[in-house]
Amino acid sequence: MKPLLYAALAAYVVAAIHAILTFVTKRRSLERVTTGSLACGFAAHTAALIVDWVQEGHYPLFHLHETISFLAWTLVVAYGLAVYRYRTHALGVFLLPLVSVLVLISNFALGDEGRHVGRITEGDAAWLFPVHTTLLIFAYASFFVAFAASVMYLWQERELKQKTFSAVFHRLPSLTTVDDIGTSAAAIGFTLLTLGIITGVVWSSARNGHIWHNDPVEFFALLTWVLYLTLLHYRTQWRGRRAAWLGIAGFALVLCTFIGAFVLGGYHVFG
Amino acid sequence: MSIVLVGLNHKTAPVEVREQLALSEQACAESLHAIVDGEVVREGLIVSTCNRVEILAASGRERGAEAARRLRDHLSANARMLPAETFNAHLYTHADEAAVRHVFRVASSLDSMVVGEPQVLGQVRRAYSLAVETGTAGRVIHRLVHHALRVAKRVRTETGIAASAVSISFTAVELGRKIFGSLKGATVLLVGAGEMAELAAQHLASAGASRLIVVNRTHEAAVRVAGKFGGEAVEYERLAQTLAEADIVICSTAADGYVIDATMANAARAARRNRPAFFIDISVPRNVDPKVGELDNLFVFDVDDLEAVITSNIREREREAERAELIVESEVMQFQQTLRDLDIGPTVGALREKLRRIALEEFARKRHRLGQLTPEQERAIEALLVSAVNKISHPVIHRMRRSYDTGEDENVQAWRDIFGLEENEEK
Repeated sequence: MKPLLYAALAAYVVAAIHAILTFVTKRRSLERVTTGSLACGFAAHTAALIVDWVQEGHYPLFHLHETISFLAWTLVVAYGLAVYRYRTHALGVFLLPLVSVLVLISNFALGDEGRHVGRITEGDAAWLFPVHTTLLIFAYASFFVAFAASVMYLWQERELKQKTFSAVFHRLPSLTTVDDIGTSAAAIGFTLLTLGIITGVVWSSARNGHIWHNDPVEFFALLTWVLYLTLLHYRTQWRGRRAAWLGIAGFALVLCTFIGAFVLGGYHVFG
Repeated sequence: MSIVLVGLNHKTAPVEVREQLALSEQACAESLHAIVDGEVVREGLIVSTCNRVEILAASGRERGAEAARRLRDHLSANARMLPAETFNAHLYTHADEAAVRHVFRVASSLDSMVVGEPQVLGQVRRAYSLAVETGTAGRVIHRLVHHALRVAKRVRTETGIAASAVSISFTAVELGRKIFGSLKGATVLLVGAGEMAELAAQHLASAGASRLIVVNRTHEAAVRVAGKFGGEAVEYERLAQTLAEADIVICSTAADGYVIDATMANAARAARRNRPAFFIDISVPRNVDPKVGELDNLFVFDVDDLEAVITSNIREREREAERAELIVESEVMQFQQTLRDLDIGPTVGALREKLRRIALEEFARKRHRLGQLTPEQERAIEALLVSAVNKISHPVIHRMRRSYDTGEDENVQAWRDIFGLEENEEK
């Protein structure tokens, strides 16, 4: 549903610009503009997804542009939760421009409408497929939040250690807060990733009996899973700087998962 | 009318001069009574703090210079101990726009010793209420002070002028907040004692730190300090164990070497399961091994580091002050407009009212000739008459305002005469 998606894009761009302006000028009054336009954008975006679903007749997480649009939507949800829980708008500086870019790409992404939906939606456990993809997209959004929190952590930690503070320093939430955000986001992401992998395995075995396809996506997903497992297991010992680096490494693996799917091809295809 | 301001501050006069002039509230009230005569000086206000003594006055138009002279004489008379010439060199005199700007800058703490420190705002408020009590604040000073308070608020909220700490203890609190977020529930460990350390502990406590532990080589001293702040004293021998409980450690002992070394800090860190800790070392020579700061999740700031933060904070404030000056400038312009309206306003109002009245009276007089009219029609005619009269008077009012703006008072008077406006109609 293009007009709705354009409206969402416009609102997101306004929100992103105001988030950055708030960050730069410290004018709290601009936050309200961000929140307002973000809410509008989110409403339009949600409507676009639903209309898409009804019109296309399949869950809006199948074609490439749908996946990207859905990812942007989950990022907005993640941002909303973070703002609600931690009362910090600094994340918006990372998230909202990305959301805008994703929606923009989704608007102009080349259609691959030729691909047959039926291939996926047939079989016994077909209903598991949208669950599988939704869980994973939400997991990736969480990992991005963890990544953004890690960057904020490392930035501040470095400045605190070197005792030279840039203007950005005073605008970021405290070390403990970003550490908390990073850990919670990683834990949520890990849970979703685990569930996503399980549903994928169940779906796949119901479909053709295989649970492993020697596919780069599966490889990287497993690696990501192991990494976050380690991170959460050693959470207390690895608090702070090391946890932040792992958060960044984990997100790099997530990116590899995506890029791997595109470059190397294989059983998994996004879109 | 004219606004004049005469005074001296920490930039123009050394403390020996300022202390001679500093006035008690009683003395301020007496001075106000002495200065304000309703003729040359119509309204007055005195701000007297340890950094400045300033008299603000509103006088009649063309009487500004005379009023300024009177204020200067009054101040010199108070500073009897000094020869008049040397004293006058410390004084500054601002008139009209410059005076308004000065008042706005003072209230916004742009003129303070440390830019952005908020005390001066309270002092301006007190000076104003004193002037109100004394009965020397009139409509000019009312507007000016209210506007100044508004400017100060705008500067505070729209710039980061007061956002960063400029004292050791507040810097400690600020850095603590940066590390822990809220300081609520934080445990503070005071190693050694000293005025600055106690002050820092006090600020941390008022920022929410809930538990204070005091360790001192002489246990009695620890007990004394702990008693003073409602903390607990712990024997010096147990410092290493206690360290594990502390989120914030303030070190200020007279020891020659390191009281807390890397091994100790590392053990405490492990016991704390890597939760971050913040060491403030305000002792010279240093008590905390700088190597502690190289460990993950431990942050050490010594006196020099804190001073460096303060210096950069002051620089940040000065950068923000530049933005504040722009706000002040635009507000000065706005106030000038208010001031003009304040003066010409009643005349304009009287003129509009008089013309409107004439139109409506004429309508009432000839009403019977118009026959039957519905209430709507009647109202429409009234509105039409008023709007026609306003259209006609608009260029007149415009010219009148311009005459007033350019100071051609005789022209304003001429317009008054033409329309037969009396003084009493304008009240």
